[in-house]
Amino acid sequence: MKKQQFPLLVLGLLLCFSACKKENEAIDTEYPVIDVSAAAFPQQCSVIKRGEKFVFKAKLSDNAELGSVSIDIHHNFDHHNHSTEVNECNLGAVKQPVKPFLLIKDFPLSAGQKTHEIAQEVTVPADVDAGDYHFLIRLTDKAGWQTLKGLSIKIN
Amino acid sequence: MLLFSTCFCLGSFAQTYLVNGLVTDGSHHPLAGITVKLSKTNVYALSDSLGKFYFQLADGSYLIQVNAMGFHPLTSKIVVDGKAVQMVLKLQSHIRVLKEVTIKSTANEERMREESLNIEIIKADFIQRNLGGSLMNTLQRLPGIKTIGIGSGQSKPLIRGLGFNRVVVVDKGIKHEGQQWGADHGLEIDQFATEEVELIKGPASFAYGADAIGGAINIKAPVMPAPNSFGGDVNLIGKSNNGLFGTSVRLFQRKERLFFDGRFTYQNYGDYRVPTDILYVYDFAVGLHKNYLRNTAGGESGIHFNAGYVTEKFKTIFYLSNTYSKSGFFANAHGLEPRRVDTELHDASARDIMMPSQQVNHFKLINRSTLVTGNHHLELELGYQRNFRQEYNHYVNHGYMPAVYPATMNIPIDLEREFDKQVYSLMAKNQVKLGKHHLQVGLNGEIQDNLINGWSFLVPAFQQKSLGLYAYDKFKVNDKLLLHGALRYDLAQLNLFSYTDWFFSETASGSQEKLLRAANLSRNFNSLVWSVGMNYNAGLFELKANVGKSFRIPIAKELGANGVNYHYFSYEKGNPKLDPEQSYQADFSVAFKTEKWQARLSPFFNYFPNYIYLNPTSAHDYFYGAGNQVFEYAESEVMRYGGEAQVKYQFGKQWGSEVLVEYLYARQLSGDKKGYTLPFSPPASALFNLTYSPQKFLGNADTYFSLDYRITSAQNNIVPPERKTAGYNLFNFQAGMRLHIGQYPLSISAQVQNVFNTRYLNHTSFYRLISLPEQGRNVVLSVKIPFNFKHHP
Repeated sequence: MKKQQFPLLVLGLLLCFSACKKENEAIDTEYPVIDVSAAAFPQQCSVIKRGEKFVFKAKLSDNAELGSVSIDIHHNFDHHNHSTEVNECNLGAVKQPVKPFLLIKDFPLSAGQKTHEIAQEVTVPADVDAGDYHFLIRLTDKAGWQTLKGLSIKIN
Repeated sequence: MLLFSTCFCLGSFAQTYLVNGLVTDGSHHPLAGITVKLSKTNVYALSDSLGKFYFQLADGSYLIQVNAMGFHPLTSKIVVDGKAVQMVLKLQSHIRVLKEVTIKSTANEERMREESLNIEIIKADFIQRNLGGSLMNTLQRLPGIKTIGIGSGQSKPLIRGLGFNRVVVVDKGIKHEGQQWGADHGLEIDQFATEEVELIKGPASFAYGADAIGGAINIKAPVMPAPNSFGGDVNLIGKSNNGLFGTSVRLFQRKERLFFDGRFTYQNYGDYRVPTDILYVYDFAVGLHKNYLRNTAGGESGIHFNAGYVTEKFKTIFYLSNTYSKSGFFANAHGLEPRRVDTELHDASARDIMMPSQQVNHFKLINRSTLVTGNHHLELELGYQRNFRQEYNHYVNHGYMPAVYPATMNIPIDLEREFDKQVYSLMAKNQVKLGKHHLQVGLNGEIQDNLINGWSFLVPAFQQKSLGLYAYDKFKVNDKLLLHGALRYDLAQLNLFSYTDWFFSETASGSQEKLLRAANLSRNFNSLVWSVGMNYNAGLFELKANVGKSFRIPIAKELGANGVNYHYFSYEKGNPKLDPEQSYQADFSVAFKTEKWQARLSPFFNYFPNYIYLNPTSAHDYFYGAGNQVFEYAESEVMRYGGEAQVKYQFGKQWGSEVLVEYLYARQLSGDKKGYTLPFSPPASALFNLTYSPQKFLGNADTYFSLDYRITSAQNNIVPPERKTAGYNLFNFQAGMRLHIGQYPLSISAQVQNVFNTRYLNHTSFYRLISLPEQGRNVVLSVKIPFNFKHHP
């Protein structure tokens, strides 16, 4: 009697388990997208002038809802490189930083957006070191997926 | 292959008959692993797990000899005359203490039958046969066991999808304490010094304490040498993929009561190779020189010395060990961070270790004493361990760190992180048999001291004290039914120490400030857990059921992390208010066993009211996080279920097959990631094995040829920051035999891992996030040569 019941019990449990799987609600598994083509600025190998302003422009999008975006400009005088891009730019010689430009800024995006065209003004001080820099864009969506874009730029 | 096929033909010239034998001890218990020799020939057989052995012999008269350690030598005459012969060899043991040791193989089967949790027991021969880059890597052939690995030599256990601080590793009775929370380094255990491992798949907190919420890996103390023995063995290992060469040498001696047992292991390997010459870290193309993953070379050494005093009732043994490893990290990406490297410098040699790299040293001193008085069995273990890990890297000024590393800093410029952990442990237990009850009461205590150093900050320094008391009763209702009940109470105190940045950050108002990353924090925890189970053994059927509650104390990182992990572009933020994690789990197992068939199905269901995990949020933090994505430690309700199925079928005496299946499903039922799975959830997989073990192969015993085919499904059930991983098929081939040089048996094992050099991604690998494929084809060769200075015929 016992012998016959137990396999049935196990089978029943397994059926229960497989039934549970069906109620799986749709979850977001897609990364947000940073589009730095066309009208975006800067782009890979862009050149920015010291003592001037530029507008950081990019097209941000997500299948569900955007989270926030953050930018980070730091020197690459040591050629450490965070570039995520296909093309490499011509790097200047390795050098010791004296007063490198550093900018870290985050921009929360208002709720409910699937696409956003970001346009933020950035001022580059006149007294910073010229040379190779990284322009790192980090974009999250509401679910916590993050996309990185690491661009190599020059400040002249 | 041609060689093999010619060899198969050699054995079948003359008309032969089957000699079917059984080896038992004085009390008719079958003895496994006993070498049975045909006198004046090179023909040997080895008794199987049921004590059986076979010869295929032509007509004639033969002398059969057995010379097993701990037993009187035995010679028996048989005559083969045109028909099959059956025989029983009954061995008489000459020393009482040794009897305990030699009947261990049946003790293990009994152990598995009498344990209501799902356990697997593996021995040194399994390790030798399936030798992987590390002990955990070797064990992952078992269903339900996976690893979180980095590179070719380091990995950590993942039992049914739970790992890190949710799995306890016990080494010689004492909990192994390293930096369990990290995915980028391995477990500091020397697999050559491992003789027997017991894996508990399921919550084992009541016996192993907090952290055994997912399971426990119990590495047993090595078996003592036999009285009046003096010998050892030499292992030689070579691997083709990463050019590994290594050796492990053992030397032991025992008089009647005093003994020592020493081992030295050394391994050195180069960069490992993957089946591709170009990788894409994001879109950035990284060329690989001759398929080598730049800077993944390493080396490790292990020194072990055990010595003790043994009488019939009392034993005290000291275990001293030190394992050291140094290995490089893949140079083109540290974590998720792409790095530009001097390829010419790196590609000059595949064996050098440049930056980034890590170094880990683990020292351990354990004393284990046991005393048998009346029906009490007392056990006491005292342990001291020190885990010292350093991560070296070029200084890169991340975030607000100064562009040039200040000359005034006391921390070396290349020391990114350092963790220095000292642990004092105590374990005491008493087992007593009272009628049909087998009662066990025990106590575990631990004091931990953790220091940090390096220019990068992740976790504050901390001290931790814990004490646990438990009682466990095994009640034998009748010959078929066993009931189990256990109760455990734990107390713990955790003190975190404050940490302030060594550099200035820019505040929102534009001023400069050295940030206080962690404040002093003191937390007290207590927890009561329980477990009830049953075993029902009726002839061919075996049934197990267990329900229990387990817990885990939040670790310092979960409570007090407050730093940027630049290799992940994540700002990890602890939550000082976290409660101890709790888990309820139900485990079942049905098994069916005949001489030819063995089948086992082990489903489980698990519920966590508050699973603690690192939740990637949608926010970026400008100030503490230097613009990085905020990852917060959070709690959520979690449901998990799954199980393993194993079927073995022995067709004929020489052919065996095996199918191992594993499946796991996890889902968060509340919180920010409701509906998502848990990180590092291994995909379902099935392993099909076919083994050919000829009785006599070139006159040698223990020959096997074995093929493993593993199908792993895709893992599309992911949670940020994971990526979907495609399924893959892998073939592994193993072969081995035992030769005899003079009177010494020499075991040779060979393996071809990833036979077809398949390019695949492992979902639970550290390098999965930057899409690094796993190791390509790897030929592993190992030879074990035992030697004996005093041989008693």
